[in-house]
This record gives sequence, C-alpha cells and structure tokens, in this order.
Amino acid sequence: MIQLILFLLIGALLFLSLIFLVWRSPRAEKGSAALVEARQALVALQTGLLPMELIGRIFAREDLEYVRSQAPAPVCAMFLSERKVIALAWAAQIRKQVLNLMRFHLGSARFYARLTFRTELALALQFAGLLLACRALQIVLYVGGPYAAPRIVGATVATAAQVCSISEQSLAFLNSAQLGVLPVRPRGASL
Amino acid sequence: MSSLPRRLDVQEAAEDLRHRTLSALPQSLDRLIYLASMRDYNTGLYYHDGLAARFSQEVACEALADCHREVFRQLVACSLENVVCQMEAYMKSTHTSPGEFLAAWRKLEPYRVAVPVQVDPLSAQLLFSTFKIALAILEARLTPHPEGSGASPRR
Repeated sequence: MIQLILFLLIGALLFLSLIFLVWRSPRAEKGSAALVEARQALVALQTGLLPMELIGRIFAREDLEYVRSQAPAPVCAMFLSERKVIALAWAAQIRKQVLNLMRFHLGSARFYARLTFRTELALALQFAGLLLACRALQIVLYVGGPYAAPRIVGATVATAAQVCSISEQSLAFLNSAQLGVLPVRPRGASL
Repeated sequence: MSSLPRRLDVQEAAEDLRHRTLSALPQSLDRLIYLASMRDYNTGLYYHDGLAARFSQEVACEALADCHREVFRQLVACSLENVVCQMEAYMKSTHTSPGEFLAAWRKLEPYRVAVPVQVDPLSAQLLFSTFKIALAILEARLTPHPEGSGASPRR
C-alpha cells in the first residue's frame, strides 16, 4: 500500500513537472517579446527623449523671452501653445516608455537578470514615483503651460535616467554574456 | 568584419562632403535643405555624383544620410533666435520677395519634407514648431503694428 502511494506521488510529481514545462514555454516566448519591447523603450528614452539638448530646447526660457521681445501678443500665444503641445507630448512619451520598462521588470526581468528582492523593491518604488511624477507633470504642463514646472521636469529627467541606467544593466546580457547583481540605488536619490 | 571598412568608407565620404560641399553653406538650415534636395522622394535614397564617383553609390548615399541627420540634430539644438536669423538669411538668399516667401512657406510647409527619415518624431515636431514660430515672427516684422498692441519688434 505504501509502495502504491509512493509511486502515485512520484507519478503526480512528474505530471506536475510536465504541466509546468508546458506552461512555461509560451511564457518564455512572451518574455522575449517583452525583452525586445524593453530594449526599444530604453533606446527611445536614452536617444530620443532624455538627451539634454532636446529637453533644453523644449523648455528653453530664452526662446519665450525672445518671442516676447520680438513679436506681438498673438505670436507669443501661438508660441506658448506650440511649446505646450510638445512638452505634453514629451511627458506622455516618457510615461509610455517608462511603463514599457516597468512591464519588463515586473514580468520578465527575473528570467534574465539576477535581481535581489531589495533591488526589485527599490526599482518598483522608483517606477511608481516616476509614473506619478510624469502624471503630475502632465497636469501641471496642461494647466500652467510649458514653463510652469522646471523642477518637476528636472526631477523626472534625473529619475528616468536612473531607471534607464538600472534597466541597461538588466538588459546588458544582450550585449555581453556578463550577468551581475544590480547595484542597490543610493538612498535619497528619489524624486 | 566586412562592415568595418565600409563604415570607414562612409566616414571618409562624410568628411569629404563636409569639407568640400557643406563648408560652403554657412548655416544649418541651408545644409538641411541642400541635403534634403539630394534625396529621391520616391526611394528615399540620396544621390551625389561626385561622391559616388570617388567612393561608391552606396557609400555616398549613407554618407549623405549621416550628414543629413547630423545637420538636423544641429538645427534642433539651435535657439529660436538663431533659427529666425537663419531663416531670414535663407529668405534673402532666394531673392524672392519676403511676403511671397513667407506666404509660400506658411502654406506649403516645405520644411516638413526636409527632415531625414530616421529621426526621433518628437525632435521633428519641435523643429517644425520652431519653423512655424520663426515664420510668424518674420511675418510680424513685415506688418506694421499699432502702438501698444504688444511687443514692438526689434530688428
């Protein structure tokens, strides 16, 4: 009787292992898609949205002063409206790409990089803070215009750069076989 | 390994283009328009006979595309004041009347086809917006404003 139970248990374990393997296979495929998405999000942030020359131009106060000194009021209004649209588009793009990176970290990062629980928690908090900052920035830009929140812009850019840096390390195995434990974020580096 | 010498060829061709051709064009806006004019709108490929004869058509095409993207980035980084100055100088160089030039640029928006293909859409949007404002500023300079209706344009 005991032998029968033992064999049944071994059989059940093998069956469960089989189910686990079948279940994991499409998940791995999904993971590779998330990986590509994360890589694209990282490139979009680092090369398209976070370069200082672009941010400096979008929020350049000297441009506003120049328009005020050179053009009549309707042109000033047009300038502010145009820059507001671009600033809002920039904030929306940052939020979208950060969400893509967050999805990768939530779903697939642990398959590719060895993340400690502490690092994951710190990263989760950083993502949450960044998404909140992006939303706040969108509201402030919408209500107050492109020059209403230079500090939030600065803080958002700094945190986004930190998140990019950590994500780059998570995705570093794509460039080299090197896999390492991610460094824990320094204290007091939040928004 | 085979792409390494080719990349070096492209860099050499781009340097040649900068030195011989682009250096004769003083401003980024002139260069952007010149480089866009070297592109076939149907294929998106760039053509430059001199460069192709010295290197190869493929290398010339890539060198022109590289320079186009570089000039685009330079122009995006320019201040509004700088863009207005560049546009004014370009307008003068075309020898058309300022009114006609500004009206045509406002209606046709030719700068929209002057940007390289592989650029960040937000940067392109920012540049288009800057051109639009620059045109409005130049137009405002042409039309007289009654006293007290806003800022008096300085020249």
